[in-house]
Amino acid sequence: IKCQHYPPARALQASAALRRASDEHKKEPLTSSSQQHFDSPPAGHQPEQEPQGPHPSYTGQGGQESEDYESEEQLQHRILTAALEFVPEHGWTAEAIAEGAKTLGLSVAAAGMFHSDGSELILHFVSECNTKLSKLLEKEQKLVQLGEAEKKPIDEFLRDAVEARLRMLIPYIEKWPQALSVLLLPRNIPSSLNLLTSMIDDIWHYAGDQSTDFNWYTRRAVLTGIYNTTELVMMQDSSPGFEDTWRFLGNRVADAMTMSNTASQVQSTGEAVVQGLMGAAVTVSN
Amino acid sequence: VYQVFENVAKKYDVMNDSMTLGIHRVWKDILMHKMNPCPGTLLLDVAGGTGDIAFRFINYVRTVRQRQLQRKLKNHQNLSWQEIFDSYQKDQFNSLGDSQVVVCDINREMLKVGKQKAQHLGYSEGLSWVLGNAEELPFDDDKFDVYTIAFGIRNVTRIDLALQEAYRVLKPGGRFLCLEFSHVSNPLLSRLYDLYSFQVIPVLGEVIAGDWRSYQYLVESIRQFPPQEELKAMIEDAGFFKVDYENLNFGIVAIHSGFKL
Repeated sequence: IKCQHYPPARALQASAALRRASDEHKKEPLTSSSQQHFDSPPAGHQPEQEPQGPHPSYTGQGGQESEDYESEEQLQHRILTAALEFVPEHGWTAEAIAEGAKTLGLSVAAAGMFHSDGSELILHFVSECNTKLSKLLEKEQKLVQLGEAEKKPIDEFLRDAVEARLRMLIPYIEKWPQALSVLLLPRNIPSSLNLLTSMIDDIWHYAGDQSTDFNWYTRRAVLTGIYNTTELVMMQDSSPGFEDTWRFLGNRVADAMTMSNTASQVQSTGEAVVQGLMGAAVTVSN
Repeated sequence: VYQVFENVAKKYDVMNDSMTLGIHRVWKDILMHKMNPCPGTLLLDVAGGTGDIAFRFINYVRTVRQRQLQRKLKNHQNLSWQEIFDSYQKDQFNSLGDSQVVVCDINREMLKVGKQKAQHLGYSEGLSWVLGNAEELPFDDDKFDVYTIAFGIRNVTRIDLALQEAYRVLKPGGRFLCLEFSHVSNPLLSRLYDLYSFQVIPVLGEVIAGDWRSYQYLVESIRQFPPQEELKAMIEDAGFFKVDYENLNFGIVAIHSGFKL
């Protein structure tokens, strides 16, 4: 993962002007990231602050700056978020990033800040989706704690979590295979693997202590397998509303549950057999 | 400086090829790849007299534009023939996608050679030729998407002024790119390079262009130029962000890049 360096303390005065201009036509996607931290610009608009996500994500901290400006990281965030809406048309490319920069009032040359294969855009998107999932699961957990909702059985919980996460891909589904192949480039594997495992960990964390007799690594591996295979099925699914994919997902989760039951059954049977043998041995020795 | 380039203008390209054994073309291609311009980009090429960067820019943008149009046509499968025809008409007369390059040079002779080359090679649209001084550009603020200066910044007397002017004329988000000879850190290579520079190049200068002194000046100005890190600091001082450099050929040449954010 790239090391984030904290930028020298200088004002991005161009960006302060840009934010004043862009405040006039503020769009939803610009405020969706929980990693962004808009400080109040001198022109006196309302500051928008969002809490940091509960789990570390790819981009790391926003950094401590003084009041009046945003760092390079935050600007890059905003450009990438703005670029997402051009992905269905241009794919995960530098062109989409250039169009995104244009909507923020920046020159198209700003896309040169990023790699020309669009890696950062994809990683940014994945990290955003993971954050959204976290928030969703957290909200559900709160509802359960307040007693306003039932605690879901483990298989239903996993199924719903994976489905929710995969549904976030739907607007970009046409170009998603391209994104998957970019994520598999050797250069990107550490980051993409990190994002994947942290998402899986997240889901298990919110699944709570309903976990069965799996040990920790097996749990991770099983859910990663379910997620990856379902994602691939989704790529080729042309059924209405992706119902084939959700059915596939349900089957895989059920398989995993059966496997765990079988495993515990095997274990208890094994214990019973051992006890029987011990008893027989004792009898024989007497 | 003016005198040097007056003498040098006509034989500039030939000298470039022989001095660098043709590698300068590769360097300029790498610069263009790094820039990765998309159609609609406005480029200012300073000290770009004979137009090398400008022509490469036009070629690159033209290719990207063609690919864009092909992709659009592929997505047009549901439209009626009339609609396809209309959009094709509109795009056909826009083969550069509104990209433009302004070539600015302090030396009229260099610009003249550049214009002749353009005519000769068939570049007609998207090019402008302007006489101007890098320390005081005749352009308004916030105009250009990309500012390049290839092998020109070492000839500028006040580099900091040139950098400030670059900052001024760039749009917010615009990019500064500088291709220049720089310092070789590898000691063995550095000795070979020195040997080549001081012994071979002025001789070539005399033989090909009939001008020993100008090329002696060129080689010495390369040695006096600030090294990579120092130039990076100067660019940062002018207000650019995300300043970085990439060494080509172990530091014989370096590309510095910065953004106006």
